[in-house]
Amino acid sequence: MATKPLNLSRIVLQDIWYHKWMILLGLAVVLNAVAVVYTSHISRTQTSQLDGLQQERDRLDIEWRNLLLEEQSLAEHSRVTRIATKDLDMERPSPGKEIVVRLQ
Amino acid sequence: MTKQAKRITKPEPLHWRLKLVVVFVCAVFFSLVARAAYIQVLEPGRLRHESDMRTLRTTSNEVQRGLISDRNGEMLAVSVPVRAVYADPKMVFDNNGFADMRRWQALADVLHEPVADVVQRVQENPKKRFTYLKRQVTPEVAAYINQLKLPGIYLKAESRRYYPTGEITAQLVGITNIDDVGIEGLESTYDNWLTGTPSKQKVRKSRDGRVVERLDIIQEGESPNDLVLSIDQRIQQLAYRELKRATEIYQATSASLVMIDVRTGEVLAMANTPSYNPNSRDQLQSHRMRNRALADAYEPGSTVKPFVMAAALQSGIVKPGDVIPTSPGWMRIGGRQVRDGVNYGDMSLAKILWKSSNVGISKLALQMPIQQLLGTYQSLGLGSYSGINIIGESAGLVQDRHRWSDFERATLAFGYGLTVTPLQLARMYATLGSGGILYPSSILKLKQAPEGTRVLSENVANEVLKMLVGVTEEGGTGTKAHIDGYPVAGKSGTSRKAVAGGYGDDYVALFAGVAPANDPRLAMVVVVNEPKGDHYYGGDVSGPVFGKVMSGALQMLNVEPLPSHEVVELAGSVGGQR
Repeated sequence: MATKPLNLSRIVLQDIWYHKWMILLGLAVVLNAVAVVYTSHISRTQTSQLDGLQQERDRLDIEWRNLLLEEQSLAEHSRVTRIATKDLDMERPSPGKEIVVRLQ
Repeated sequence: MTKQAKRITKPEPLHWRLKLVVVFVCAVFFSLVARAAYIQVLEPGRLRHESDMRTLRTTSNEVQRGLISDRNGEMLAVSVPVRAVYADPKMVFDNNGFADMRRWQALADVLHEPVADVVQRVQENPKKRFTYLKRQVTPEVAAYINQLKLPGIYLKAESRRYYPTGEITAQLVGITNIDDVGIEGLESTYDNWLTGTPSKQKVRKSRDGRVVERLDIIQEGESPNDLVLSIDQRIQQLAYRELKRATEIYQATSASLVMIDVRTGEVLAMANTPSYNPNSRDQLQSHRMRNRALADAYEPGSTVKPFVMAAALQSGIVKPGDVIPTSPGWMRIGGRQVRDGVNYGDMSLAKILWKSSNVGISKLALQMPIQQLLGTYQSLGLGSYSGINIIGESAGLVQDRHRWSDFERATLAFGYGLTVTPLQLARMYATLGSGGILYPSSILKLKQAPEGTRVLSENVANEVLKMLVGVTEEGGTGTKAHIDGYPVAGKSGTSRKAVAGGYGDDYVALFAGVAPANDPRLAMVVVVNEPKGDHYYGGDVSGPVFGKVMSGALQMLNVEPLPSHEVVELAGSVGGQR
């Protein structure tokens, strides 16, 4: 009885084909695991970035508040009035001397 | 070759050795897997706990109290984060904190306090766990203290409130105490609105201290809200400056000013003297902190006469062209006397207001039933709150009784026997300016005009307004409130202050009015309380303040001035009725 020579690679491929769903699922599991690792990495980087930005925001807010105070004290009306009248020799025209310019 | 050597040269498997190795390797693998399973499946809690101890942190965000700004966005109150320095004496002693006294010297220097004091406060009670060393230090100082690395010395976040406008808006805005709780003025009234609560969150931090994962929110925070006032800081500043000057010149006990936007009821300026600096808490005096513009009620004197006129016109007992005889310049009512300065003879209605005749106005008041007059007063907001909603507001006093003597009815007509706050009076004049519609007062900036209630007919309101133009023109009692370019409808008033058992020698000088009379925009009241010296008439003391502030305010609001001949014409049209 002459035995047909066995084609090993053929058998292997047949076997693979037979178990294709198993292998696909296995691959999917591996890919999924990698994706989980990757997304959690991204999420952590982003969270950390968000945290950094929020800290920056708080710092800027504090700076803004201090600048606001400085602006208010520099632009205080009585100070402006004093500089305008004393240093710059300006005066407010009385209503009678006002000239009204009408915008068409 | 020996037999033994021969056996060695011919290799064959040593079964017991192979088995030993296999068993050993399997045991190693098995123990590894068992250990992993134990850690992962059976007893995962402990390591998780260990990990959490090292990475889980609770963070809370700092929340600053809301800002208060005027209608144009100028800041009236701003909170800035600062730090409180506190000590835990027990920790200081446990860690041998006094080993390096140079650090304590540096700490004391930066706190501007003698080192002995600081050390003494910590050493006082070694078992204590908390004592403040200094509150409200700047972040720079805090960073320096942090670098000193003193054991048991800690920093705590808090915030400090600054009031850039200082004494100009002090009574209105109010102040907070050191723990950031509003205790006066709007800070107190809107405390809940302005205060936020920090939110607490559980986070996972990486080794370098960055947040890598946000877990759950432990406590939902509430963000603070800002407050936008209806005040126009430009006008407020001008008002305060003029008021302060008048207070000094006439050595008055106090003075108040209220300006209302006629079309919406918004308060554009509310100033009081004497004032205080809200930025330094050391020298607070309660009499300086009173917002007298709405907390103090005065007898309004002649400033209520226009409303008696309005009541008379409204009820139809007189018509605009009528003439009232006031000769001989005084009248006797129930054994008491009502008198004018001079005998004005027969007067037109406009002239009664123009010359502020007590006899004329008393005659009008006596012609109408008392309920008519009181009803008009009450519908104009006397004796009730203005709707401004600020803690400490007074409602004034209008007596509600059935029996009135004739003399009391007459005095009611020239402003005695009832009290009003400056804010109420301003609101009454605003009603004349808005054509008889009374709006609730508001200290907050409004998006649209609120719903008003009609309390006077439009004709009556306009008629009275026209009569009042004469007051600030030549020959009236309020010529010092005259403004170049804008016709003013105003009325002066001077009332004696009541003391126990009668009226004393002190006066209240008032001036109230609306401008520009041709198209009313602003209503304003100036009250100077107890001016000393020769001048105490409303027209002399409060009138000039009224004129300056009103003209400045109209200019700032870009109200177009009338050419001077039209002002004269307007005044002349009233003159025809004199």
